[in-house]
Amino acid sequence: MTSGRDRRPLTAWAFLAPYGIAVGLLIALPALLNVGYAFTDHTGLTRDPQFVGLSHVRRMLDDGFLLDSVRASAIHLALAVPLRLLAAVGLGLLLAAPRPGGRWFRVAVYLPTVVPDVALAVLFLWVLNPLYGPLNQLLGLFGHAGFNWLSEPGTARVGVALMLMFPIGEGFLVVLAARRMLDGRLYEAAALEGCGPFGQLRRITLPLLAPVLLLLAVRDTILTLQVNFVPAYILTDGRPANATLYLPVYIFDQAFEFSGFAYGALITTVLMVVTASVITALLLVVRRWRVLR
Amino acid sequence: MADRGTIRLESLTRSYGRVVALDGVDLEVRAGELMTLVGPSGSGKSTILRLIAGLDRPERGRILVDGQDVSRVPPHRRSVAMVFQDYALYPHLTVLGNLLFGLRVRRVRRDEAERRARAAAERLGIADLLGRYPDQVSGGQRQRVALARALLREPTVYLLDEPMASLDAPLRFATRAELLALHRDLGTTTVHVTHDQAEAMTLGDRVAVLDRGRIRQLGPPQQVYDEPADTFVAGFLGGPPMNLVPGGGVLGGSPGLILGVRPEDLILDVDGPVEVTVDAVEALGSESILLTRTADGTRLTVRAAARCGLRPGAAARLRPDPARLHHFDAETGRRR
Repeated sequence: MTSGRDRRPLTAWAFLAPYGIAVGLLIALPALLNVGYAFTDHTGLTRDPQFVGLSHVRRMLDDGFLLDSVRASAIHLALAVPLRLLAAVGLGLLLAAPRPGGRWFRVAVYLPTVVPDVALAVLFLWVLNPLYGPLNQLLGLFGHAGFNWLSEPGTARVGVALMLMFPIGEGFLVVLAARRMLDGRLYEAAALEGCGPFGQLRRITLPLLAPVLLLLAVRDTILTLQVNFVPAYILTDGRPANATLYLPVYIFDQAFEFSGFAYGALITTVLMVVTASVITALLLVVRRWRVLR
Repeated sequence: MADRGTIRLESLTRSYGRVVALDGVDLEVRAGELMTLVGPSGSGKSTILRLIAGLDRPERGRILVDGQDVSRVPPHRRSVAMVFQDYALYPHLTVLGNLLFGLRVRRVRRDEAERRARAAAERLGIADLLGRYPDQVSGGQRQRVALARALLREPTVYLLDEPMASLDAPLRFATRAELLALHRDLGTTTVHVTHDQAEAMTLGDRVAVLDRGRIRQLGPPQQVYDEPADTFVAGFLGGPPMNLVPGGGVLGGSPGLILGVRPEDLILDVDGPVEVTVDAVEALGSESILLTRTADGTRLTVRAAARCGLRPGAAARLRPDPARLHHFDAETGRRR
């Protein structure tokens, strides 16, 4: 009997091994190498990279473009994460209840997630077109002259965030599933107490979904700092005035067009640090506000 | 105040799709009464509760509380408090948070709400649990939290939906007595739903037996037990259920009748007229249940003394208590 009990953890590790090896080889090792490359003169073609110490770090501290890039990423984060969460949570909660035709709405919400991001970005070039794009025409209905979306820093940032409000299928599904698992009688008990729909949302749904929402926020923070590459590349190429020169875009530019791998690797490390600090801040706020029980 | 809390249901009808949950139910609950609704699952007893609470709307019929038609009144204006089957406590709130929930929704001041919540907790003996979460207290304690929450509504009517279904047997026994004491103490009209016949017999000034959306019989538990209105009630209330034998069989009577006799009214008697073979003996400690069969194959259940000395395969003679024979119409099942 004891031997069987002893073997069980081994079995678990055996099943985990392929995944562990892949994570080690494909993620952990490159990430470590990446940090190492940041202190060499590796260009990506260099056969024998030499250690150059802190020279890239010194260059980085003077890099005005990097500052623009960090600012662009931060603004994007502040804009896109709340919007995406709001869309995913709002639509998930609205469409969780069984309603006639509900499934078609759910399909419609998920559909943009299936569209390749390049295709979605090209579609948004048309949506945001100042002359014939539907968004400006819609604004025209309200008597607004519309925006020159992609040529002004502010509206370009909003434009990219708008586009990223559509591929929210996964978050939407998670909220949908989590909401459906909540006990309907809690809502009946609340209704008996005179708690209306808004009160139920505030006092029951959101607190009970808090762990899920936190998970989505963390995931979306990581994602949002990275997935803006494609829309930025296709919609704006980092312009105007570096407003959409998000860190992934700048990393790509530096690594493959200007300075080579080493400097790109250093900025990648910066992106990792930025991501980690945002998530740490998020978790600290959650603990401070006692969002979770 | 004395006659606060009368409930009148008038030809209440509700169906879900093709399933008729309630089929023209008329029922009057007196002020201060503890009324038990009992029936098998799907008989409509919970639907009645949900309609009184306002969680569901009737298709036809009216609900009157204190003489006022509340059929179109939203739940929170009805002055009813409900204890749900699994208590429906808010899992993200402490016991205190659960008690405060309704008070805060009704904008009672924080300190006043807390004072009242503590008083209710004190009354139900859960004052030391206020800081715990529902999943950190036992089933019996959860039930008390649910009761305290109901208490805080200070309603005209309490609705209890199988409040003891998730308690284990010994706890149920103790809780029954406490629930009765609480009701006597409060004197508030209470409608209680159960499928447990022991609860139906012991709780409740009157009991309504439901089957397929209709009330089959209404009356004090003992009366319903002693004089079941039809074969359904006879078979449903009492355990083991009443023996029902077609007329002209071992219990006598004419064809066209069904005769009923309860297991405790079949007495073991060497001179008894009914000869049976014992198939099985269930020794329950305080008594024995004999499963027997007559020569013509009729099965009779007999309640006998604990150590009656009979074994499976033994022959015995039974004497039905003639005063305790029930006669039902074979066609309609109604009592005659």
